[in-house]
Amino acid sequence: MSMRNTNTLLILSALAALTCATTTATAQSARPTAFTNARIHTVSGETIENGTLVIKNGKIEAVGKDVVVPAGAKVVDATGKTIMPGLVSAWSAAGLRPPTVRSNTPQRGGRGRRFRPTSRGSSGSTSSKAATKVIDGMYARQPIFGQLLEVGVTSLALTPQGSGFPGLGAVLNPAGKSRDELSLNDEAFVQIGMQRSAGGKKVLKDMFEKAKKAVEEREKPPAPKEPAKKPEAKPAGKPAEVKPTGKPAEKPKDGKEPPKPAPKPTPKPAPKESEKKQDPKKPATPPKKTPPKKPKDPNVEVLADLLQGKRRAILQIASAADLLHWRTAVDDDVKFPRMVAVLRHDSNSGTIDMVTEHLKKWECSVLLPPSLSTLPRTQHLTHPAKKLHDAGIEIGFAIGESPAAVRNIFFSLMELVRSGLPADVAIKAVTQVPAKALGIDKRTGTIEVGKDADLLLFSGDPLSPVGKLEQVWLRGSRVESKK
Amino acid sequence: MRTPTLFVLSLALLTALDLPGQGRRRGRPTRATPTPTAAPEPKQEEKKKEPKKYTAIVGGDVYLGTGQRLTGATVLIADDKIDKVGHNLELPEGTTIIDAKGKTVSPGFVIVKGAGMGAGFSAPFKDTVNPFAFDIKQGLAAGITSFLAGSTSSRGRIGGSNAVIKLAYGDVEGMVLSENSVVGISVPLDRSAREKLETSIKAAKDYLVATEAYPAAKAKDPKAKAPKKPSGSDQIISVLQDKARLWISFGGGGFNPFRGMMGGGGSNSDVASIREACEIAELFGKGAVIEKPMNAWLIPDEIAATGSSVIISPRTRQAPDPKDPERTGSNIATAAILAKAGVPVAVTCPDGRFGGGGVGTNGILGQDLNTPNVDVAYAIRGGLDDRKALRAITLDAANIMGVGDRVGSIEAGKDADILILDGDPLHYSTFVITAVVNGKVVYEKAKEALYRHIARPKY
Repeated sequence: MSMRNTNTLLILSALAALTCATTTATAQSARPTAFTNARIHTVSGETIENGTLVIKNGKIEAVGKDVVVPAGAKVVDATGKTIMPGLVSAWSAAGLRPPTVRSNTPQRGGRGRRFRPTSRGSSGSTSSKAATKVIDGMYARQPIFGQLLEVGVTSLALTPQGSGFPGLGAVLNPAGKSRDELSLNDEAFVQIGMQRSAGGKKVLKDMFEKAKKAVEEREKPPAPKEPAKKPEAKPAGKPAEVKPTGKPAEKPKDGKEPPKPAPKPTPKPAPKESEKKQDPKKPATPPKKTPPKKPKDPNVEVLADLLQGKRRAILQIASAADLLHWRTAVDDDVKFPRMVAVLRHDSNSGTIDMVTEHLKKWECSVLLPPSLSTLPRTQHLTHPAKKLHDAGIEIGFAIGESPAAVRNIFFSLMELVRSGLPADVAIKAVTQVPAKALGIDKRTGTIEVGKDADLLLFSGDPLSPVGKLEQVWLRGSRVESKK
Repeated sequence: MRTPTLFVLSLALLTALDLPGQGRRRGRPTRATPTPTAAPEPKQEEKKKEPKKYTAIVGGDVYLGTGQRLTGATVLIADDKIDKVGHNLELPEGTTIIDAKGKTVSPGFVIVKGAGMGAGFSAPFKDTVNPFAFDIKQGLAAGITSFLAGSTSSRGRIGGSNAVIKLAYGDVEGMVLSENSVVGISVPLDRSAREKLETSIKAAKDYLVATEAYPAAKAKDPKAKAPKKPSGSDQIISVLQDKARLWISFGGGGFNPFRGMMGGGGSNSDVASIREACEIAELFGKGAVIEKPMNAWLIPDEIAATGSSVIISPRTRQAPDPKDPERTGSNIATAAILAKAGVPVAVTCPDGRFGGGGVGTNGILGQDLNTPNVDVAYAIRGGLDDRKALRAITLDAANIMGVGDRVGSIEAGKDADILILDGDPLHYSTFVITAVVNGKVVYEKAKEALYRHIARPKY
């Protein structure tokens, strides 16, 4: 026992040391850095051959063929090398498990096989806690984020796990060391999980019904009669509620309060005070006070925001069959910005490309596993990603949540490209598309002037087996490898 | 050469004569069954605003499933229903035409008990069906378009949770035809269970009588109380109201490890048990469905007298008791004998030794189980009339599941679940060329990897 404890301690301290080593280089001063003669996958536009990329203050200052290297710039000669935007992981549970120490036992199942996203279908009951912030369940102090950054993940999601409405997902800065440093946006998206069961479908249906009602309530004109009616307790109670709705819905966006308990109390005090002010005027109010004061369900409010387009969602769906079931639970006219996330090709329930026409109606992007699929019970390969792309649907790839899986992503992309997916689509699918889904596409995901300098520098083409990832830059700072 | 001739239908079928013995069928008058599926209906109404989509299957020899055959006829499908059947039909403009010249057209096969093929394991089935399950295609390739999934028996009391599933590939809402159109009980019942059943049937009947009389009573006396529904009687009432069919199975005799080895439910189905099943049917006053009564061939008239139907597994064998070989054991002629007595018969496959108990693609026996015409071939070999044999896997099977008003035959107004075959529907080497479910083509032999490489042997 004591032996094991000391071992653990040793390893923990070693890990801690490693984490420290991973820290990004000293913050860039005003001195610009210029990459010259590079092949640049801008993703936003054409690939630039022999281009120059200038970064300054963590941002991309200039990119192009004829860009002049500014005086005093630190020059990185990138002849024969390729630069692409940093990877964006739109589905990741890294950090949701406590750091496990098992480096002294060999992993079984090969690289990247250890953690499989298993939150599909059957597991457990369906939750309806849309307003819970997943980041509050994160184990911040662990080396995984640094390890992911080293292999090229410059932005990553923290995805709430489970079906139904497991909570609000976050966007993390992988260089962070604490919760606050890690968190870039602690409510970046609403995670929704489809579960093919009566209970699961009911939760979806009920919550969206409630959200629709909440939206109707919000969109009601704030009734000009309101001030006149105020003295009357009952009718005033309802419209009076309309106002606070807006507030609590927006408040969490600034996102300082803790999740579960907090949102409830916040909306409560507001109406209370306003009513208390009115109360003295009317002695008859106290008994009537209770019904209108029914606190808003923050979970419903979050979904109402979603329906109003103030939030975006990542909708996890396991298969084509599940998508059809979703449509029987939630009407297609319930519209909200979404990306559909499929974590495993499930040919026994239909791969997601079998319902392409429905996906097109949703006008959403689709996050796919970076792999080919097979027809059921055969070895006949199918290419869902290509099929969706050919149908005009934007595709992204789930790049995995372990460093080993991320290292493999380029090999997976290679296979998909060899099977017919255009290379630029493959690159876009791990950068710009997931960035859009996380709402960070204005800041990162492409190489454009003004965006964060989140860059990967490869010795050759990223999609070539000999292209090696040599450098990772996060917001203008070179990420030092711990090795 | 001998074997094929056994199966090929005689040309005499061209006559539209009804089947002999049918007049003796009692107890279940053709009922204007209330459709249990409420959910899909409103959707269809919404869609009605759109012009109907017409499909016509032209020129095939159409087995209507009622016993009739029309040569070179046309089946016109409007959306998901059969619009018209006949010769020289006028086709609306824009009709999609499927050529069936030189082929046969038959109602989709209806299987009284199945598993897999996209059905979930428990109710509510509509929330768990998998419309992209691979075995749906396998089932369609075998001609199956509907089957009953779930449990139908419950020991000691009426129970069961099941649904009639359609093999509507890719269509979640089209897959569940009805939920719980069958309730079951297994015999023998012990004395207390029997007494309890008798009391609850009586209470349910009284309740129904009282309910019927209630509006009149209320008119006289506005204070009259509405009759109270006896608790736990829903399933009994649904049988009494013809909303569900009662299935009676055998095997309530406790755990029997050898049951599977003996070929399933037949082990307890001696004459005494079958008589008990008949008694229960008479308690209800409704024809029941007796599941796999191995000795039914001994008392066909008694079964017929109750208006009951029977599910037979013609492939199942049970050795006779050596002490009384003349009056025990299975009989290959069971289906024929029962049919002759006027009992509607449906066929199913034997229970698998390692599970099964229904037509499906699961289990160690694999895919060969889901070929309904092969199962019915055994009954034909035992003397079952060809027309009745087809009914045993179409209309009679549908009636047995309580969905005879929706599926089982090619008649105007019914669901468009239709097979186009390259030969006699009952012939063992016949392949399904095209399967249509709810008016949509869901299987084409030439396009699926299953059997496209096999040509039908010519004789």
